[in-house]
Amino acid sequence: MIPLWLIPLFPLVGTIVLAIIALSSSDSKQGPAESITGAVAVLFPILSFLSVVTLSVGMPVEGIRGTIGTWIDTAAIQVNIGFLFDGLSRVMLLFITGIGSLIAIYSVGYMHKDRSFARFFAYINLFLFSMTILVLGDSLLLTFLGWEGVGLCSYLLIGFWHTDLKNTKAGNKAFIVNRVGDVGFLLGMLCLVSIGGSALLSYDALNAWLLNALSLGSISNAMPLLSLAGLLFFFGCTGKSAQIPLLTWLPDAMAGPTPVSALIHAATMVTSGVYLLARLSNLFVLIPAVLNIVLFVGLLTAFWAAIAGLFQNDIKKVLAYSTISQLGYMFMAAGVAAFDVSIFHVFTHAFFKAALFLGAGAVIHSLTGEQDMRRMGGLLKKMPLTSLVMIFGFLAIIGFPGFAGFWSKDLILERLYVSGPMGPYVYAIALLTAVITAVYMGRLIIMTFFGKYRGSKENEAHIHEAPASMLIPMLLLSVGSAFAGFLWAGLIPGAEFFREMLAPVVGAAQSYAMLGHTAAHLSPWIFAALGTLAAIIGMLIAWYLFMRPVPEAKGGSEPQGFGASWTFAFDKLHEYVGIIPTKVVAWLLDVVVNTIIMKAQWLTGGIIEILGDGIRAFQVRKVRLQAALSFIGMALITILVLIYGGLL
Amino acid sequence: MELQASYIQIVALALFTIGLAVTLTRRNVFFVLMGIELALNAVNLSLIGFAKTLPAAASVAGQILPLFTIAVAAAEACVGLAMIILIFKSQESVDIDNYSNMKG
Amino acid sequence: MLALIYFIILGVIAVGSALCVLLSRHPLYGALSLVVSMVSLAGIYGLLGSPFVGVVQIMVYAGAIMMLLTFVIMVLNGARDSKTPMFDKVSLFVFPAILLLAALLGFALISTPLAFNAETLRGSVALTSETLFNTNNKGPGYFLLFEVIGLLLLSAMIAAVLLAKKNLGSKETEEITEVH
Repeated sequence: MIPLWLIPLFPLVGTIVLAIIALSSSDSKQGPAESITGAVAVLFPILSFLSVVTLSVGMPVEGIRGTIGTWIDTAAIQVNIGFLFDGLSRVMLLFITGIGSLIAIYSVGYMHKDRSFARFFAYINLFLFSMTILVLGDSLLLTFLGWEGVGLCSYLLIGFWHTDLKNTKAGNKAFIVNRVGDVGFLLGMLCLVSIGGSALLSYDALNAWLLNALSLGSISNAMPLLSLAGLLFFFGCTGKSAQIPLLTWLPDAMAGPTPVSALIHAATMVTSGVYLLARLSNLFVLIPAVLNIVLFVGLLTAFWAAIAGLFQNDIKKVLAYSTISQLGYMFMAAGVAAFDVSIFHVFTHAFFKAALFLGAGAVIHSLTGEQDMRRMGGLLKKMPLTSLVMIFGFLAIIGFPGFAGFWSKDLILERLYVSGPMGPYVYAIALLTAVITAVYMGRLIIMTFFGKYRGSKENEAHIHEAPASMLIPMLLLSVGSAFAGFLWAGLIPGAEFFREMLAPVVGAAQSYAMLGHTAAHLSPWIFAALGTLAAIIGMLIAWYLFMRPVPEAKGGSEPQGFGASWTFAFDKLHEYVGIIPTKVVAWLLDVVVNTIIMKAQWLTGGIIEILGDGIRAFQVRKVRLQAALSFIGMALITILVLIYGGLL
Repeated sequence: MELQASYIQIVALALFTIGLAVTLTRRNVFFVLMGIELALNAVNLSLIGFAKTLPAAASVAGQILPLFTIAVAAAEACVGLAMIILIFKSQESVDIDNYSNMKG
Repeated sequence: MLALIYFIILGVIAVGSALCVLLSRHPLYGALSLVVSMVSLAGIYGLLGSPFVGVVQIMVYAGAIMMLLTFVIMVLNGARDSKTPMFDKVSLFVFPAILLLAALLGFALISTPLAFNAETLRGSVALTSETLFNTNNKGPGYFLLFEVIGLLLLSAMIAAVLLAKKNLGSKETEEITEVH
């Protein structure tokens, strides 16, 4: 049995090695040798992936736990550095390190001839380290460490091409909006600590405590604080997973290199909010009110982002809004206590969204940086393999029967329907969202690969299929997006591998949430048929609406008119709720500090200066005389002491 | 008539006063240094005198502390003399009133 | 009775030679008077039952420190400006101040009851060493102070060397070496 800490150790070593390479080559004009750097960059994620696979094979049902030492040891807080490898973290780690390795291979081709080649891979390895820590940590505090680490890497990678002010601003925005959510996470941890001390930060201890309190009936005393904690944790998740209200950073985050968008802003980091919900499932099922909020927010986000996706012209922005929308689906599933299904959607989504992003990256790469879909078109014949990958991803995301997204989305819809009295309405909106998903994704595929080429002549000359290092990961991911769903194919009896894998972690919570519900007896085939119908209707609408000549592109790729006001609604909200009040307070403080306090300082200083000038006239020049005078002072003090000491 | 504890303190006080007077009144820098040594000696005497008035366990401190005082005095004399040499080089004088750079 | 007689003799010598320090014109005379004062103080220490401190007093103070002082006085020709008045106008302020302080302290001393304690230990070598080098966890911990004193002496030595040296590395020194 290999130790658990090897999994995060490999990317950490990779980070250090690559950082040394990047620093040592910072003065040379050429940059480091790409072959060696690329080999190092790919090797360590793969090693990490292999150790995850090795551990997964022999994992006992209850998971593996390993503590490597004490982290914080004070009177108030004791936390160990411990790792927890169970069904949930196994799934997450498998696709984090697996897709991470594939994207690292892809990036070797994508970042070819970039001056900061080594720096890029140092960040990627640091990201994988933080992400594995996030998922492996056995306490909330360690998860928070990884949580902050991935936020940092996200910031670094969004602003990777930092000579462009736009990218830097996008990075800042992502970082700051994430910080707002992180406050929720921190306060949630404080709530737990105030309930039962720092021991509750450990997941095992928290679950045991909840179980104990539930059986003793003493849970109702802690209920207000627990609800607050759950709400705050959910607020933290909305920041990291780009849900309403903290979702505006994700579309802007597309300023980073495309492999980063695929890895961090589609497949792994943004799903850590869903991971946290599933990890704390035992807490959340006790507070159904908060779960309802989760459901509502997920529903709203999924619907809003799907419509916003309709108006985007930038190919990566469409994918960004579809990511937000799919994350909304995951939150919806978590909101009806179907944590295993939401993790399953995380899993399939990681494959098809990574495939879509990498395909988009290949398109952008061959068009030398063009991202506006209005200047694409007709690429099907010129890049057949890339088109194939994209179309596979497309079929998966809209839920075409047999593809990965079909199985997971179908399960989510089914669980939504049977969740309670509100179920059918929620189901209807989610199904409508699925139709819209098919429309905007169909628009993306049609504008990119069908019709006639509309871009510039010089770009057309060298449109080419991507190099092998980019194609192979894309093809592997497209295979994943075709077949990953069969791990839990609801329609096929016995194909429930995924559910069984997660059952030890979230099963108890889900059966608790289902107490008192009478499961509606509807055939799963009806849901499957309705889902398929939604996908096909959406495709037909897209075919009807967009299979026509596209007006010539003018100006930037930003949406105009209604599309713009819909897209930037939450940016405006942030401005009025957060930014403008802060600016007013800052202005007020500026006035107070600069005028009032500064004037007071000047006044005080002036008075002291005048006094000092006056007193200087009395100064004695001889040191001996000064000493003598001080002895007289001492004598006076002695007299005082003698008087009050009772001797005089 | 026997030896009283306060006699020792009075001698120590006399020595201390003389040391202080030497330090403050004499202008020759060597006298200043010697006055300081004299005052330190007076303090040592005072410590030992007080040690005699304490019970067994507590009195030990009074026997040990003078040793430290002597060591500190040695260090002080060492640095002080080095400073005198240094200042003497630039001022060519042993009159401390000539040393005074603290004019306001 | 005998102790008192010895004490009076030694105390008179100590205070008298201290007064000689105050009143002597040449620093060399002052230093030699100071040595006398210290030796008699060592005698008082012995009389009071602290022979070890007395011996250290003679060796370190009267021996080493005063010898060093005398040496420097002779090197620098300390009597160079002995024409300056021994006491000046400042003394008119200083003496009353000191005497006032001394009078007050003396008054406080006299009005405080003080008596010898019969149990007091003799400050012998054995006692001193046992106390000073008691490294027991619950002991007085003087050994630590002892180490610190060692460090202090070392740093004082280094400081003295650095101060008294010709200022190395400065421009003047370089010019001098070039000339030579």
